[in-house]
Amino acid sequence: MSSCENPNVDKDALMPRRQKFDGKTKICVRCKENTGNVVIRYSVYCKTCFFPLVQTRFRKSLEPSINATPDGPRKKALKAVGSLVIGLSGGTCSTAMLDLVAKSYFAPKNEPTGKLKGGKDHPRNSDKGVWKGKAGISYVEVCGAFPGEKDRTEDIRAVVESYSNSNFEFLPLRLEDSFDSNWWKSVGGDLSTSAQSLARLDLHLVNSSSESSPLQALRTYLSSLPTQTAFYSAVQMLVRLLLLHTSASRDASHLLLGTSLTSLSVNLISGIAQGSGYQVTEEGKEEWNPRPEHGMPLRIVRPLRDVGMKECTIWDWWCKLKIVGEPRSLYSGGKNAIGALTRDFIFGLESDYPATVSTVARTCAKLTPKEGSDEICALCERPAQHGVQAWKSRISIRSYQEVSSAVSGNTRPPHLTEEEITNLTKSSLDITPTSDHPFSLTPLLCYACHTLLTSRSSRGLAASLPQGQSTGDVPLPLWVRSSADMAISAHSHESVPLAVKMSRREMEKEISEFLLSDE
Amino acid sequence: MAPRSCALCLKAKSMLKRPKTGQQICRDCFFYVFETEVHNTIIHSKLFNPGDRVAIGASGGKDSTVLAYVMKTLNERYQYGLELFLLSIDEGITGYRDDSLETVKRNQEQYDMPLKILSYGELYGWTMDAIVSQVGRKNNCTFCGVFRRQALDRGAAMLNVDHIVTGHNADDIAETVLMNIMRGDIARLGRCTSICTQGEDTIRRSKPFKYAYEKEIVMYAYFKKLDYFSTECIYSPDAYRGHARAFLKDLEAARPSAIIDIIHSGEAFEIKEEIKATQKVQQTCQRCGYMSSNPLCKACTLLEGLERGMANSGITDRGRRKLDAEGPTPDNLRTIPFFRRPSGGYPAIAVELPS
Repeated sequence: MSSCENPNVDKDALMPRRQKFDGKTKICVRCKENTGNVVIRYSVYCKTCFFPLVQTRFRKSLEPSINATPDGPRKKALKAVGSLVIGLSGGTCSTAMLDLVAKSYFAPKNEPTGKLKGGKDHPRNSDKGVWKGKAGISYVEVCGAFPGEKDRTEDIRAVVESYSNSNFEFLPLRLEDSFDSNWWKSVGGDLSTSAQSLARLDLHLVNSSSESSPLQALRTYLSSLPTQTAFYSAVQMLVRLLLLHTSASRDASHLLLGTSLTSLSVNLISGIAQGSGYQVTEEGKEEWNPRPEHGMPLRIVRPLRDVGMKECTIWDWWCKLKIVGEPRSLYSGGKNAIGALTRDFIFGLESDYPATVSTVARTCAKLTPKEGSDEICALCERPAQHGVQAWKSRISIRSYQEVSSAVSGNTRPPHLTEEEITNLTKSSLDITPTSDHPFSLTPLLCYACHTLLTSRSSRGLAASLPQGQSTGDVPLPLWVRSSADMAISAHSHESVPLAVKMSRREMEKEISEFLLSDE
Repeated sequence: MAPRSCALCLKAKSMLKRPKTGQQICRDCFFYVFETEVHNTIIHSKLFNPGDRVAIGASGGKDSTVLAYVMKTLNERYQYGLELFLLSIDEGITGYRDDSLETVKRNQEQYDMPLKILSYGELYGWTMDAIVSQVGRKNNCTFCGVFRRQALDRGAAMLNVDHIVTGHNADDIAETVLMNIMRGDIARLGRCTSICTQGEDTIRRSKPFKYAYEKEIVMYAYFKKLDYFSTECIYSPDAYRGHARAFLKDLEAARPSAIIDIIHSGEAFEIKEEIKATQKVQQTCQRCGYMSSNPLCKACTLLEGLERGMANSGITDRGRRKLDAEGPTPDNLRTIPFFRRPSGGYPAIAVELPS
């Protein structure tokens, strides 16, 4: 309908590009003395003023959420109720964030003489930290999803150890831990027999028929996804959930992620394009509740959400920090994935129209979900909206069974007879899961996760996926199995039958009394 | 390779791959599901009441041509009991609207619907050709967009209809969601996914094709042999929309459900209450009686700028200050006729009936 716009026009008619800075002066806008070294969103700053500028933005984003009462008075002290976990990918922004955390909250408080004033047991020096215990620095190695990629765990360990801070503890994780019962046990997960063996066949929960290693399970899971978009989003989701469960197991009250303003805008637009508009607030500010017996609510904070990627890069450069995590397939691959397309689009905007990137984040911060929900998606563990499947089937008809109320009389498809449409509706009903058939995973998923597992590409394949294609059942991350098991138990006090492939012998046993002997 | 049978009826040979679902289906099933999905949208949103007088915004382009056909089909099949009209706006762009208006006139005959054509020249005293000659190609979309919206409402009031339906499709809505996020237009973001909008003083306006993919609309027109004109404006584009559109096409190529997924996202969120409280309250234009968020509506502001030879006054704050410095509005200024909502009964004007 918007038919009046013609994109093939002369350049003069496009959005006017604002100059990077007015060019009138090269003096720092903050101290008004030094010659500027860097232009940030149209303003010139010198090197001396750049550091407090970034540090102030960082603290302003983080500190209001540290105390138990968010945004409450915190003049006297910053005191978190739990410990801290920092997510470190080794990329530009998380490296800058680790440096900022180390300098702002974990800097040694030595006197100029090199000695602590009053000794290490003096009340002044005991338990003075903002967070309880040691800060965990967690890195998730994703090379399992990208065969041939280098394992960078030791490189990241070296980065953490370079701080020589006894309050830092390195927590290496691997993407395949999501399918590893040892990891799940270590974070206090449920290891009941049924939860361990659950898998999915299409969108139905079944008892897994195969025993595979965590790495094989990860690859089977990823290769079952229908698009590149789903593949890369699933990897990001696994990273996020591994960090959340690990943090909860350490009684952490805060998980810090190195999402810059630029990455936040990418995540927001990419999330909206993948149908997770209901969770738009979680992308900026999130409080995750582990299952009651598994710890306190965890605040996921992105303290660099007001700092652009460019500023993070400059911070790393001037502080001589080593970047060991990028580029790699997770960030540069998947040219046809929505995440990568959005990233290219936003990065392009950032260089030409820097204000647009912050506008995206500011606009999304003014949004809230339309209705409350007490349901949590089993896959991403974020709030899930009601009525998603009804909405989907109303707006895109995928079988005549879905429109069974409209297929009789003069409103049935005119090219089909009454008998034909009855058969179509009947045959559709026959394959619909009932209590005698496998429990469906669909009602346990949010819109975006259901779309991730089902929406196909017009090209028909998810190109360049790793080896290990499986035609049978697909393993599920352990937290999904656990949630599904709980849902099944809640659905029926008795055990709900799960689909198990029947062997010829079992079938024969059931009908043996009706079979006539060949003789 | 043997031809595949239709994924829906399992009987006929599949003729097309549905852009929306990726299913390979036959032509008849495509017609049926396309129409039924529009019907579902209409029924679920309770868009109409029996006896409603409904104007179809008809440009002669693909969306409105298919909309007129589908509205007539559904009205008969499901007995909505609607009285349908065609309403066209002639912007006055030489070589752009002439041919497409001929298509609308043909539709009037084919579908047996009364037609009203309202021109910018008739309503505002300015054609788009004349506006472009004064403002140039840079900001003329602002004039055209503002004038078209009012013109549709005024045309509908003349036809004395209860409701206007427009051919905005799923691609348009997804594009608008992205565009409003990128330019921080929070007020429009909050309402752009609503299927029906109605201000206090305006006529109900809705988009039955809200969930219909642009490609499927073209497909429908192609298989139904409906003729339409590709109505790309010869004047400059809305550049922001151009950026959003190109990006959306990339997303759709990566995963076709992206269009519907963006709409779902847009429907799932709303503006926070504390932000809503800071937004301007709707009022009535002191000069023409149309809805406005300022004492003067945008159309009157733009028209005053044109009349006084300072077209930029409605576009930039600087232009507005310059206009104010020139003194008060002259008494003999040409203005838009006062807007009155339809009050029921018969059309306020004569309409062209099909011969």
